[in-house]
Amino acid sequence: MRTIANDPVEAVLAAGLKDLWYPICPSEFVAERPVSLRRLGKKFVLWREASGKLHALEDHCPHRGAPLSMGIAMGDRIACGYHGVQVRFDGVVTSVPGSPGCKLEGAKATRSFHVQEACGAIFLYNSTVNVDQPPPLRLPEELTSDEYSHFLCYTEWKGGYRYVTDNVMDPMHGTFLHKQSHSMAEGDNTATFRVRETDLGFVFEKEGQRGVNFDWTEWADTGLHWMRLAIPYPKTGGPGGSFFIIGSYTPITDNVAAVFHWRCRKLSGWQRDTWRFLYRNRLEARHWTVLEQDRVVLEMMEPDANQREMLYQHDMGLVRWRRHMRNLAKEQLEREDAAAPTKAA
Amino acid sequence: MSELRQEVYLNPHQARRRPPTPYEDLLGDSIERAFAAGIHDLEGLVAHLNRTGPGCLQNEGVWTEALYQEEMTRLAA
Ligand code: FES
Ligand SMILES: [Fe+2]
Repeated sequence: MRTIANDPVEAVLAAGLKDLWYPICPSEFVAERPVSLRRLGKKFVLWREASGKLHALEDHCPHRGAPLSMGIAMGDRIACGYHGVQVRFDGVVTSVPGSPGCKLEGAKATRSFHVQEACGAIFLYNSTVNVDQPPPLRLPEELTSDEYSHFLCYTEWKGGYRYVTDNVMDPMHGTFLHKQSHSMAEGDNTATFRVRETDLGFVFEKEGQRGVNFDWTEWADTGLHWMRLAIPYPKTGGPGGSFFIIGSYTPITDNVAAVFHWRCRKLSGWQRDTWRFLYRNRLEARHWTVLEQDRVVLEMMEPDANQREMLYQHDMGLVRWRRHMRNLAKEQLEREDAAAPTKAA
Repeated sequence: MSELRQEVYLNPHQARRRPPTPYEDLLGDSIERAFAAGIHDLEGLVAHLNRTGPGCLQNEGVWTEALYQEEMTRLAA
């Protein structure tokens, strides 16, 4: 990996692009007790009110920086455990018990973040500055339409989150790495790929092969970056056709990624219930074995493996995606420069 | 759980709430065998279960389409 000091674009990408939604953890990670999560170059504290309403602040007390997650949640605010300063969900300090009336009271002194739950996960809007209203969270139809049923699989992998996208942007590994799996034993060992632009991003696909193996992958930006792919089920998977995966990946640190995969199938009635039963009873374990093959390879790669590559035609999808991400990072840096106060001449 | 998670999260079972029972395993085996044989309709699947088991937990072991759907609704919930 390029060193951050040398490359501001790299620094932006390592921490995750700003002003986007990111999945940050499964819903059940957060209850009423405050939880600290390192994500996106920060630490966040998340907690719920008794009603289940979810809140997120930067896990940093505005007084002297103690983690707010070590404090006590009091409904819509947290009392810091160090000196009792109370910070509301919107970042406003509501009480300074040690010095009532001091100017910290009433100040919006802590970064606050919008959070929303969907499909078993908590999504956070990674805004550059506090915003009153985030853009809507827009998920792909596999996660929003009643015609699909889905399960979330959440894992944390030791490696940068961009290696996870590289892996999904590389369908050809299915034929080799996953050859011994239950669903990817078919298809040619060679293929010609092409990139097809879409309204939301692009599709990277094999020419002349669909519904045989891991034949295409899609990258999309709806204010959330997500990926989509389909893998045919073997006959034992029953009616319902291919199995869809929606992926979205979030940095925890430079070398740990939060990996979200929703496994989806378009089914209804008894077929849907039967798939859900089989998924719980046995398919989840088989899908896990396949995902572990990916994790083991990725975790064994050196952090700078992507600095010594000799890419060929199968890799044009990830080349396309990396270029796009670098452009988004440059645009973010330009926005930040434009917003910065002008320096003295 | 206010401390930072030190270990990465790798939980192979996120969908199920308990280990399957032997009956559920047999039912899964039987359904997969029916699917592998190309039986993709409810009537055929129920007939397959009545031939090869496991028996239905109700109705003296006999599966009907309604009982199969009821059982799948329960197991899918
Ligand atoms: S550091 Fe939080 S109240 Fe002092
Ligand atoms: Fe894979």
